[in-house]
Amino acid sequence: MLKDYAPLIILLLVVGGFAVVNILASDVLGGKRRSIGKGNAYECGMTPQGDARIRLSIHFYLVAVLFILFDVESIFLIPWAVAAKSFTAAGVGGIVFAEVVLFVVVLGAGLAYVWRKGGLDWDR
Amino acid sequence: MNPQDLLQLFDDRALAAVAPLLALAIGIIVLLLSGVIRAFESLRAPIVVATLAFTGWLVASNFATVPGSVIDGTYIADRASSAWGLLFVVATLLAWLFSHRYYAESERPFQVEHDVLMLTTPLGMMLMAGAANLIVFFIGLEVLSIPLYALASFRRSRARSVEAGLKYFLLGAFAAAFFLYGSSLIYAATGSLQLAEIKAIGLHGPLALGGVALVMASLFFKISVFPFHLWVPDVYQGSPTPVTALMATGTKAAAFAFLINTMFMLPKSAALAVAVVALVTMALGNLGALAQTDVKRMLAYSGIAHAGTVLLVVAGTLAGDPESSGALHAALFYMGAYVFTAAGAFGLLALLERDGERFTTLEALKGLAQRRPFVAAALTIFMLSLGGMPLTGGFLGKWMVFSSLVRAGLIWPAVVGALLSVIAFGYYLRVVIALYMQPVSERDAALPSGQTSAGSAAPAAIAAAVCAVLVLVMGTLPGLFLDRLP
Repeated sequence: MLKDYAPLIILLLVVGGFAVVNILASDVLGGKRRSIGKGNAYECGMTPQGDARIRLSIHFYLVAVLFILFDVESIFLIPWAVAAKSFTAAGVGGIVFAEVVLFVVVLGAGLAYVWRKGGLDWDR
Repeated sequence: MNPQDLLQLFDDRALAAVAPLLALAIGIIVLLLSGVIRAFESLRAPIVVATLAFTGWLVASNFATVPGSVIDGTYIADRASSAWGLLFVVATLLAWLFSHRYYAESERPFQVEHDVLMLTTPLGMMLMAGAANLIVFFIGLEVLSIPLYALASFRRSRARSVEAGLKYFLLGAFAAAFFLYGSSLIYAATGSLQLAEIKAIGLHGPLALGGVALVMASLFFKISVFPFHLWVPDVYQGSPTPVTALMATGTKAAAFAFLINTMFMLPKSAALAVAVVALVTMALGNLGALAQTDVKRMLAYSGIAHAGTVLLVVAGTLAGDPESSGALHAALFYMGAYVFTAAGAFGLLALLERDGERFTTLEALKGLAQRRPFVAAALTIFMLSLGGMPLTGGFLGKWMVFSSLVRAGLIWPAVVGALLSVIAFGYYLRVVIALYMQPVSERDAALPSGQTSAGSAAPAAIAAAVCAVLVLVMGTLPGLFLDRLP
């Protein structure tokens, strides 16, 4: 059984070797001209100022969570929309539609809760 | 998959099987909305009670009709899982009653969120108890655990509570990862995640055994068995007391329900190893409890010891207990008695904390019998039942566990286990002595009282009284429960 995996192992070795050889080769062969500009975190754009460890508002976290929530909603809705016609053709379109409505209503209830609680007010 | 096949998965039987889960989910959403609609404010408590009562009724009717294995064999609603389900509903209801007016004024604004989180936990527990598939169990585990992480640190102005939540979260996340890694190894070895198929194929070879070890490690973490018990004292002590009651009873019962279903994964030769782990757990729990002066922390250690005791039935089954459902019966009855006893004991501590007794130390309990005779009497009943005194539910649970061991021929673990249970009386009786035989300590009497009571203590008091009565009924009229065991 292990023999079947031989091509896979060879592939892994080749991939790993390719990466290592490239990094080493560019390090050995490439020229180096160090300067202050190149030592910066970003070579272009604004110069970084101050410490990176500052306290961020909890709102960013809240918005991120809400974004993921409704992002996932759309991930579920798009496959349903694509498959909706085949469900209707099979004669179960009504029930499947009702399930999707239920799903949206549950998320809507969550949105209503967040809204009323003030989770969407940036200035609070 | 053909759309028609999809519908066939959700036939009437499946609907009946998951009806309790649906009822809980609807209740949770309605309760959440009641938190933001002012007109519903007075309906919050009725919503919780109605949801739990309706769920309990649905579970009870499943106990009678037995929908069986549904949704492509991933979920089972049989008599065993329904009995566990009833236990979860009762445990949640008790914890919720004890949380009534427990929190300080500053924490009250989030009472709805607290209740929503609490109402979510039985959903996870039922999924765990009814899971016939490793992934379904994992979803249940997370639905149970995530609300508990938040609940453990619910008193966010207290360092202890936040610490409890963080510790529980970090270790719980590790346990969840163990479980997933273990099930992936089991899948690699057997090609299935269905318990029935895994059982038919059998688990042989290092890959499968490694997977079983990891899955068992995560289960042992949830039931707090050596060597995965170290988080228990800190988390139980730091969490708000009603939440501790829920963790100690519901979570443990749910993990045991699944452990009983997955016992077949362990090789028969592991019987002695499991027995030794269980006995070491009992010893560590009891010895740790002996050294405690805080009753809440003491009860946490005693919870470890109790988990060790129930784990003995697994050893009994592996060693060949001739009664096939002996382990299930013993675990169900033991955990049933433990739910009422531990929830009652933690609930009374919550009641005392709320009423300005501030501390849950042994020192503070001195002479309580004179001030509050009923509380002292109920606490005594719970302590005796935890110790396993005859005529209480705790005794019969222990008797069933040890008789399962004896039937399986594991005589010396049964003897050692019984002796370790006797040691436990050393600390349970210390509480009773403090209640009845020692005067109020002067240092304590001089201290100002803590948070003042607001509102009626009736729900918590009634819940504690019901617990005390049920503990006695389970000890004196066990037939009422034993005849109905699945």
